[in-house]
Amino acid sequence: MIELFDRRARRRFWKNRGARVGVFLVALLVVFALVGPFFARHDPNVSDFVNGATSLGEPIGPNGTYWLGTDRIFRDVFVRLAYGARLSLIIAISATVISTVIGAAVGLVSGFYEGTQGARIPYASIALGVVGLGAIFTSHGRLGGGLLIAALVVLAIAWVLPLKWLDGPRMDADTALMRLVDIGLSFPFLLLVMALAAAFDRTTVATILWTLGLTSWLGTARVVRAKTLSVRNLDYIGAARALGQPVPRILVSHVLPNVSGPIIVLSTSQVASMIVAESVLSYLGVGIAPPTPTWGHMLYEGQDVYLSAPWLLAAPAFGILLSVLGFNLLGEGLRDALDPKED
Amino acid sequence: MRSIRRKTELLLLSSALLLFGCSEATAPPLPASGNASASRGGELHLASFADIKSLDPAVAADTLTGEIIELLFAGLVDFDDQGHVVPDLAERFERSDDGLVYRFFLREGLKFHDGSPITAKECARSIERALHPDTPSSFAQFYDHLDGFEEFNVKKTEDHIRGVVVEGERVLAIHLREADAAFLSIFAMQGVRPVCPSAGDKYDDTWQPCGAGPFKLDSWDRGRSARVVRFDGWREPGKPYLDAITYTYGMGLVTQRFKFEQGDLDIDRELLLADTFRYQSDTRWKPLGAYDIIPSIGGEEMNVEMPPFDNVEVRRAVAAAIDREQFRLVKTSALVTLERVLVPELGGDDPTFKKQKYDYAAALEHMKRAGFPYDPKTGAGGWPKPIVYPIYKQGLYESSAQVIQQQLAKIGLRLELKVVSYPTYLAMTKRRATVALSPAGWSQDFPDPSDFFDPIFASNQINDEDSNNGAFYSNPKLDDLLVRARRELDPAVRKKMYDEADTIVCDEAPWAMEYQYKYYGVHQPYVKGLRWSTVWPNFVRDVWLDKPRKVASRRPSVLGWMLGLLK
Repeated sequence: MIELFDRRARRRFWKNRGARVGVFLVALLVVFALVGPFFARHDPNVSDFVNGATSLGEPIGPNGTYWLGTDRIFRDVFVRLAYGARLSLIIAISATVISTVIGAAVGLVSGFYEGTQGARIPYASIALGVVGLGAIFTSHGRLGGGLLIAALVVLAIAWVLPLKWLDGPRMDADTALMRLVDIGLSFPFLLLVMALAAAFDRTTVATILWTLGLTSWLGTARVVRAKTLSVRNLDYIGAARALGQPVPRILVSHVLPNVSGPIIVLSTSQVASMIVAESVLSYLGVGIAPPTPTWGHMLYEGQDVYLSAPWLLAAPAFGILLSVLGFNLLGEGLRDALDPKED
Repeated sequence: MRSIRRKTELLLLSSALLLFGCSEATAPPLPASGNASASRGGELHLASFADIKSLDPAVAADTLTGEIIELLFAGLVDFDDQGHVVPDLAERFERSDDGLVYRFFLREGLKFHDGSPITAKECARSIERALHPDTPSSFAQFYDHLDGFEEFNVKKTEDHIRGVVVEGERVLAIHLREADAAFLSIFAMQGVRPVCPSAGDKYDDTWQPCGAGPFKLDSWDRGRSARVVRFDGWREPGKPYLDAITYTYGMGLVTQRFKFEQGDLDIDRELLLADTFRYQSDTRWKPLGAYDIIPSIGGEEMNVEMPPFDNVEVRRAVAAAIDREQFRLVKTSALVTLERVLVPELGGDDPTFKKQKYDYAAALEHMKRAGFPYDPKTGAGGWPKPIVYPIYKQGLYESSAQVIQQQLAKIGLRLELKVVSYPTYLAMTKRRATVALSPAGWSQDFPDPSDFFDPIFASNQINDEDSNNGAFYSNPKLDDLLVRARRELDPAVRKKMYDEADTIVCDEAPWAMEYQYKYYGVHQPYVKGLRWSTVWPNFVRDVWLDKPRKVASRRPSVLGWMLGLLK
């Protein structure tokens, strides 16, 4: 197994000024998210109508009590920013993990099986099954159940007696998965995420991170597939096959370590995209419901008073700006460090 | 690294531009020439972020359209600035002693914009056109006291309204089925105002608006703008002063502000909160701004058919737990605290009246009596389940909801805010057994106390899908009182009856009253004669312009320049 981040890669990484800035910004964000709330002298969701407002009813600016001032309903902006950072990081990292796992798995399988004979697609069973499920969802339970049983029977018959008129042409896993990716990529990402988030009756941290994670793996799958295509024909993969190792083991033990460089780079940059996506969702009102502090929602709340209380806009804006910049610089640094051509 | 560096540079440049744009100062007001007397001429420019859908008084019911309809269509009677009914096209009117007949005497020589004479017959035709069953009018519901209305509008058995009688070329009599103290106010609204003969007997959405107001329609570019020009045949000699008024629709609030400061708009009434604060704190602009209050009420609507608000003690607890002064601070530039249904403008100014008021100890006591005692020290007790609280994404509701959430949490009612679209919010709050607690508001249709009780607290306003009475509150005693108050013609007795009705509502608390909304507007110094009406917003009928011969154009600000580029 290769050592991914060897001494030369580490040296290249630390020599890169952008990467160092990226590490610093990400570390700053993580520390702020972890430690910031402990410095909180105020509850992030409780207004201070006495000390947090001016006599005109405006939020007060940064001072000794409220380091970043108060918001429109007189809550501590610093504390809300810290809690928002924690939430942004949790959502962004979790969604990235989900997206990377799915994307890597799809990319590995797709790349490994590219060009194989594939299997027949039981179109007749699929059609019966879809109609059956539709009938069940439209309250025609008996009809739907009958159609599902019929789908299974047809599948069994097609399996035992290969009847061509029951099956369609063969399709390999790569074609099937990549067409799925093509379909997914044809939807505008944010529009799709917004539609999904709006469809939920109640939006929580879990729904947002799953929505983001389940819709953002497509690019990773494409990249991992391309890398797998080049790795699968190398000698040591052939040797593993000749030794009779099962495919899952080959994929995990031999292919995955050799495609992990691009995966790490991609996922680092994806954390930045997830932070932006979560902020956009919250800004547009389909994110986590108030009063939970999120950077996107803080931006939304601050926009109406951008002249009289610019800190309300500036605080989350700089939070998003610096964290996105940090993760992007880190990703770029990793890419340069893991690329042997940089030597 | 190049791509990231470029992104970084762009991000920093955008931030710098944003901060630069934020830090610019308010432009000074444009000069006026200083003439003391009103003079004719000039064109007034106004704008709104919204749009108008119809200019037919029989169907248009929204506030924005009301502004322009008030200029195009004059009524037999109208409102003065304080909301009192005064003659307009009629030179006088009289009411019979029993309150069942109103007689209107038209002025002599009146003409529509198309030159045809205004007679009692034309007025009767306009009323029947507006109340015709085929007309999608939202005003018709207010005329159910009219004699023969039911046969004409509901049963459709008669071709004319029995109670609308032409008694001469210039005399129109309106007969009511039963006395209605609010009738004159309803009649002064825009719905049944005289329209030109070209409008015919029935509503037709292709009709070119034509009425008898001080201005006539010059052009209407749907979705963009409308322009009205002076009607020289208007009954008041020398008026109106303006040659024309142009309304631009669909203009964003920020664009409006920049155009206003450059002099491209003369009045700005749609201000961002930040701009309101800026104009109010700028000594040059402060004298040029004013509030107008169109009576309205805002508060928490509690569904009395759903737990825990089926328990009157919980409702009383909510009414006592809301600190209205704190609530007002959420938007000081737009809110006035309110602790009863009747707003001060309609007689709700009695300091001895027992209103709903903030009393935290009493709120805890009410929760205890309701069977849900709450211990503020431990946070234990209260209503055990979360209460879904729907809000739509609008500045006030989103902020106020979070304050209400904090205040009610202190008595053990835990709200779960749910952001929905405005249509969903309406559907949820008006449907039976759907939402237990929601923010609610009611704006005046016509200036009369009945308009603040009958539609939202009378049991005949309850239905399963589209209930005006969203609290689903039903009280036979209140119903009876409201019917009697509507018929009562003695103002003093009537006021007492509405005070009694208000006492019932404040005590049984289907609503916890909180605020009424006020609108801040600012105008350039050369705009004279602007009036602040309690009925009509943006009342510009008598405005005249005192502009210097040539006003130097102002260099646009950085943000204005950027907006200009975008346009």
